[in-house]
Amino acid sequence: MFEQFAAGARDAVTSALNEATLRGDRRIGTQHLLLGVLHEPGSVRALGIDLKTARAALDALDRSALAAIGIDIQGIERPPIPASRKRTPFTSGARAVVPRALAETRKAGSRRITPEHLLLALLDCAQPDPAAELMAQLGIDRAAVRERIRTGA
Amino acid sequence: MEAGDLSERLRSHDPAVGLRAVGALHRLAEQVEAAAVARAREQGWSREQIGDALGVSRQSVHAKYGK
Repeated sequence: MFEQFAAGARDAVTSALNEATLRGDRRIGTQHLLLGVLHEPGSVRALGIDLKTARAALDALDRSALAAIGIDIQGIERPPIPASRKRTPFTSGARAVVPRALAETRKAGSRRITPEHLLLALLDCAQPDPAAELMAQLGIDRAAVRERIRTGA
Repeated sequence: MEAGDLSERLRSHDPAVGLRAVGALHRLAEQVEAAAVARAREQGWSREQIGDALGVSRQSVHAKYGK
């Protein structure tokens, strides 16, 4: 599945796997892919937010959802979860990002999927997709991000 | 998005909120488990004892938490 990925995009996927594990998720979702590409400075520039902010936003979404069902997790010890030998598959939404990233790669006339192509594919996620929810929570202006990527700014 | 908004959405049967809460509970369980397992190992519990307490096999404790 990853033979068409350039090194940077592979690293993003590895980072996405680590992010999923750290959070205690069983599958790699689009929100983890978004965190994964944020390990790379170009994506941080394009999105205008950093990894720490994005992680905190995911946490805030969780805290509010739990608060909505009457659970307050303030003060509960929540250590990062150690890497395990269990396989962590992609969610169907995350799998669907790959062909879209490949389409971006072709559109750009490149041969390999870069983190930028992954990011462009993630920008097309629509709510209730988890990456779309995260971008909404972060107040990301997708058109502006696309423009920054297009102009290389 | 504020917690108040979310309670509102939950009352209005927005499935996104309920489903996210379930995901958050899974994550919370994993995090509480990691902390509890680490503490049990520090205090000399065997993997078998930990597995019995969690209702899983000794092997799955090993696969998940290693040493």
